[in-house]
Amino acid sequence: MKNYYSLLNSDWNSAIDQLLNDYLIYAPIKSNNSMDYEPVNPENISEIVYNIPKPTTPLKTFFLPVKENLTTDNSTKIKRIIIGAPNCDIQGLKILDEIYLDKDYIDSLYKQKRDNTILISSSCFEIQEHCHCMTYGIKPYSKEIADISLSHVDQRIHLEVLSEKGVKFITELKNYASVSNSPETEIKDIELKQSKIEYQIINDNIGLPDYNKTGKIVEKANEEIWKKYSSKCVSCGACAAICPTCTCFLLIDKPNFEKVRQLDACQYPGFERVAGDEDALYELSKRFKNRYFCKYVWKPQKFKSLVCTGCGRCIEACIGKINKNDLFKELAN
Amino acid sequence: MSDNPNIYKPIRAKLLEVITESPTIKTFVMEPEEDFSFKTGEFIELTVDGIGEAPFTPSSSPLETKKIEVTVMKTGYVTEYMHNMKAGETLGIRGPFGRGYPIEKFYDKEVLILGGGCGFAPIRSLLYSLAAISDKLRKVTLCYGSKTPDECIYKPYVEQLRNTPKFEVLRTVDIPDETWNESVGVATVLLDKVKVDIKNSVAVCCGPPIMMKFGTIRLLELGFNDDQIYLSMEKNMSCGLGKCGHCMMGKYFVCKDGPVFTYDELKNTPSIWE
Ligand code: SF4
Ligand code: FES
Repeated sequence: MKNYYSLLNSDWNSAIDQLLNDYLIYAPIKSNNSMDYEPVNPENISEIVYNIPKPTTPLKTFFLPVKENLTTDNSTKIKRIIIGAPNCDIQGLKILDEIYLDKDYIDSLYKQKRDNTILISSSCFEIQEHCHCMTYGIKPYSKEIADISLSHVDQRIHLEVLSEKGVKFITELKNYASVSNSPETEIKDIELKQSKIEYQIINDNIGLPDYNKTGKIVEKANEEIWKKYSSKCVSCGACAAICPTCTCFLLIDKPNFEKVRQLDACQYPGFERVAGDEDALYELSKRFKNRYFCKYVWKPQKFKSLVCTGCGRCIEACIGKINKNDLFKELAN
Repeated sequence: MSDNPNIYKPIRAKLLEVITESPTIKTFVMEPEEDFSFKTGEFIELTVDGIGEAPFTPSSSPLETKKIEVTVMKTGYVTEYMHNMKAGETLGIRGPFGRGYPIEKFYDKEVLILGGGCGFAPIRSLLYSLAAISDKLRKVTLCYGSKTPDECIYKPYVEQLRNTPKFEVLRTVDIPDETWNESVGVATVLLDKVKVDIKNSVAVCCGPPIMMKFGTIRLLELGFNDDQIYLSMEKNMSCGLGKCGHCMMGKYFVCKDGPVFTYDELKNTPSIWE
């Protein structure tokens, strides 16, 4: 028996309304041309978008906000539910966990936020222009890390339980709505939708080298390539800011020995500047290259988790229209 | 609720004394308000309240548990502030971080130490540790270089070392004055003056990148193996925790995987001397 539960969309909506008493809930909501996580309130519950990728902001910002006071922040204890994260973002949490929950130095703030958040990912039933998760071995639906995987099909919400926290959530949900096991036929239906999308993503990305090859390609690329692709880079750092796995930060000091963490990016000038003004990444093309080495060569040597999940946000966000996939395709052969 | 401590929060340390070592270098003697200990070669992050934080490897003995010393060259914003501080003020300490010197591996060996400039700071802590186990070592030779005789730090300590059995100190300066009667030239010239039983030795390098680079090259020429050379790397360390990403050097986080590495571990990493 698969761990699938389902309920009517309308029941789900009123359950969310009830859950708002105990949780801060975030979910993707559309506005004009974009879609992003918004705080859910009784008025916008019906506007939540399911199964369509992907929120503009990566999931990481719920755990590593752009700026946070590490010595005084106590929002970490707030119970949250995040609905609608695509699997690329969910998989992005793996590397964050490896770094921030590293047993030598557990980041207690990060940990509390992870512990106090219920993650309800949603299967992608559509794709966006630059989605290429499958190229890096990531499926467009979650089977781990998230607590629940959600699929919205024909007026029903299906919830596949993936974790202990997910089990508890279903129990809690049953207080507010009538929840039943999803019939086998409907599960089949969902799986069919999922595999169609898998196929489509693969098809859309033919010729794009996979994660086993990207490292070698980056190592072999010559300086001309880095100069060429970085020539339109303006060091805005958007690629790193919206990347679900980029987590470098600055520590800023405030009086009374307070520390503020602010997300940083190796694309910013001065990222590696040390006292005495020496800077190994002074040149823009070196900074540009650094990001590729970090993602495809160095971190893969050091960590188990993927450091690029194929979400394509960096391509969408780049104002210089730099497309990393063009680089990989150019150097594929 | 997790009861993990907040890894970003410094403990307070009272500044007991500021010692002027040279026109640009001062030693800060501090007394941490909470228990604090470190192993030689590990580093700490020192906070000047509200101003900033910078990494230093303590220059004091790890065996001294009440007080901790750092020796600081005036190079930037934070260090400039520190140089204006006075006894009685409070600093913040986080750490200790990283992997220090594997002293047990030095047993039964000769230890050849090449140091330059402010690199003497971590070396002094190492020397204290080595002196404490000198019965287990064959001998310890320090080759130290600085720009001018004025900038040679820890003069009284050097005298003390010269009177310590099994310890030898050779010094050189780039620009001598009329009082200088030791070597002249860059630190690496001293390597040609020492007699070492290379097979039974380890070498330790700590100083400005350029000295480490040429020091390593010379040590290799002399016949040292890649894994007999210990390098104390400096990178833009910030969090000290293997998280902020600022200290990445190839696949290594210098703060956590180092700062002490063997040359063997680093030789395939690009631009380690930059
Ligand atoms: S990259 Fe894959 S998982 Fe991410 S939004 Fe696109 S289809 Fe979904
Ligand atoms: S100093 Fe932050 S990762 Fe090393």
